[in-house]
Amino acid sequence: MADETRVPIASELDIVTARQQGRGLAAQLGFPLGDQTLIATAISEVARNILQYARRGEVRLELIQQGRLRGIQVVARDDGPGIADIAKAMQDGYSTSGGLGLGLPGCRRLMDEFDVDTSVGKGTVVTLKKWVR
Amino acid sequence: MNDPSFQPIQRSLLDEMGLTEKEWARRRAWLAFTEEDVERLRELNKFASSYADLVIEELYNHFLSFEETKAFFRDPQTLQRVKSLQKAYFKGLTEGDYGLDYVAGRVNIGSVHARIGLEVKWYMGAYTFYMRTVGERIFRQFKNDLDKALSYYFSLKKLAYLDMILAIETIIFLREQTIRQQQEAIRELSTPVLQLREGLLILPIIGLIDTQRARQLTQGLLGAIRATRARVVILDITGVPAVDSKVANHLIQTVDASRLMGAIVIVTGLSGDVAQALVTIGVDLSRIRTVGDLQGGMEEAERILGYRVVRDENPARGTVR
Amino acid sequence: MHVPILKQGPNLIATVQAALTDADLVELRDELAAKVGNLRSRGVVVDVTALDVIDSFALRTLRSIAYTTRLRGAETVIVGIQPNVAFAMVQLGMKLEDVATALDLEEGLALLNRELRGGGNHGG
Repeated sequence: MADETRVPIASELDIVTARQQGRGLAAQLGFPLGDQTLIATAISEVARNILQYARRGEVRLELIQQGRLRGIQVVARDDGPGIADIAKAMQDGYSTSGGLGLGLPGCRRLMDEFDVDTSVGKGTVVTLKKWVR
Repeated sequence: MNDPSFQPIQRSLLDEMGLTEKEWARRRAWLAFTEEDVERLRELNKFASSYADLVIEELYNHFLSFEETKAFFRDPQTLQRVKSLQKAYFKGLTEGDYGLDYVAGRVNIGSVHARIGLEVKWYMGAYTFYMRTVGERIFRQFKNDLDKALSYYFSLKKLAYLDMILAIETIIFLREQTIRQQQEAIRELSTPVLQLREGLLILPIIGLIDTQRARQLTQGLLGAIRATRARVVILDITGVPAVDSKVANHLIQTVDASRLMGAIVIVTGLSGDVAQALVTIGVDLSRIRTVGDLQGGMEEAERILGYRVVRDENPARGTVR
Repeated sequence: MHVPILKQGPNLIATVQAALTDADLVELRDELAAKVGNLRSRGVVVDVTALDVIDSFALRTLRSIAYTTRLRGAETVIVGIQPNVAFAMVQLGMKLEDVATALDLEEGLALLNRELRGGGNHGG
C-alpha cells in the first residue's frame, strides 16, 4: 500500500481521479463506507476549488498516524490567486448551492480536522484529516 | 522464538495498537535502549539459559505459594503450558532479537493473561521477580567485575521496562476495546427504527443527542428508509430532555437527508415553547414538519400515505378463550 | 459517457452511470431539455443510484435540469440518492429544495403519476 499519492489537478477528469484514489485509500485504511463517501466528497470539493479558482494544482493523499490513531490526510495545493477574505469564505451563508462559495465550511464538517493556509497572490493550501474510529 | 506453544503472532493486533516499526524505534530511543544493550544481553544468553528452568520453577513456586494466584494454576495442563510460555519468554530476554516479532510475543502473553483474568498486581509483580532472581545471579557470577555486572543489570532493566509498558498497554487496549463494543451495543439499543406500516417508520429518540449519536441515528434511519422503502418517517423527540439549537440543527440535517431519499419526516414531541425558543434564536424550523404529539403525527402520516382508520362500532371485548 | 434517455409514456427516464464527468452531466441537461420539448413529456426521472459522490457541481446541474425541464412543462424527480451520499450532501450543506426526490425509479414514476392525476404529494 502506497503511503502517499499525488494527483495533479488540471481538468475535471482529474477531480474524479482524485476522489476515486481517495476512496481507495480510505477503504484500505478500514474506513466504513459512510466515511469513505464523506472523504471522497470532500476531496471532490477541494479539487474542484483548485480547478475553478486556480486552474491547476495538486491533491496529495497520505496515510497518517498519531499514536494509536490512523487516518487519511488530504492536502489540496494551488498557486492561484489565494482567498482574500478567509473569514467570509468560512461562513455558511457562502453556500455551494448558489455557486458562489468554496464549500469550505462543508468540507470542515465532513472531516475531523481542517486547516487552510492562504493569502492573496500566494496560492492556497487546504489540509483535511480524518481518523479511523 | 520457535516455541510451538506460542500462538501465531498477531500482527493485526499490533497494528490496532499503533505498534509499528517506527513507534517501536521511538520507544527504544525513549528508554535509551541501544545496540550496546542488545550486545550485552546477547552476551548474557548462555549464562541465562543455564538457569532458565530453575528461575521458572522458582517463579511458579512463588505463584503457587499465594492463595490468590494459586487458583489460576490448579489445572496441571494449564500450569505446564504457562510454564513453557514463560520459559520461552525468559529465553527471549537474552536472545538478541528485539524487533516487532519480539513485541508481538510480549503483547500475546499480555493478552493471554488479561483474558484469563489474572489481575495486574500479580502479573506485573512477576517482573520484579525476574529482576530480583536474575540480578542476584548476575552479581554472583560477575562479582569480580562489578562494572560489567552493573552494565548487564541495567540493560536487562531497560528491557524489563519496555516489556512492562507493553504489558500495560495491552491490558488497557483490551479494556478499551470492550468498552467500545459495549458503547456500540448501547447505541444500537437506544435508537431502534420501527416499521409501523408499509412505508411508515417511527424513530423514538430517548436521551440526549450529541453529534456522534445524531450521525449514527441519521445513518441508521437512511439505511432503514432504503430497506423498507419508507415514504414517511415519524421522528419522536418526546424523550429528548434538552433541545437546543445544536440538537435542532442535527434534526434538520436528518430531515434534509431523508428528504433526499424521498421520505417525508414528521417530528413529534416538540413542545410549542421549545419551538418558539428555537425560532427566537434563529433556527429555521420552517423546513421541518412538526406535530405536537405522537398520535397527531401518526394521523398525519397515515393521511399522507393514503390510509384511513375506521373504527369498528362493536369491537370484541375481553379476552378470547 | 453518454447517458441514455428512455421514453415511457409521458415520462422520460435517464439513468446515470458511475463515472460521470461534468461534461456528461451538462450534456444530459441539454438533451433532456430538448427531448422534453420535442416529445412534450410531462415528467422526467433522473436516476442517480450509481453515483457514489454527489458534489456541489453535480448538485447544481441536477437542480438546473429540474429548472430547465420545468420551463418546458415537465416535472423532474431525482431518484436513487444512496444513504451515504445523502448524508455527505447534508454535511456539506447541500439541499435540493425545490426539486422532487424519491427513493427509486418505481417510487419516482409513482410520484409523477400522482402529480399527473392532480393531487399527489410533493417529495419535498
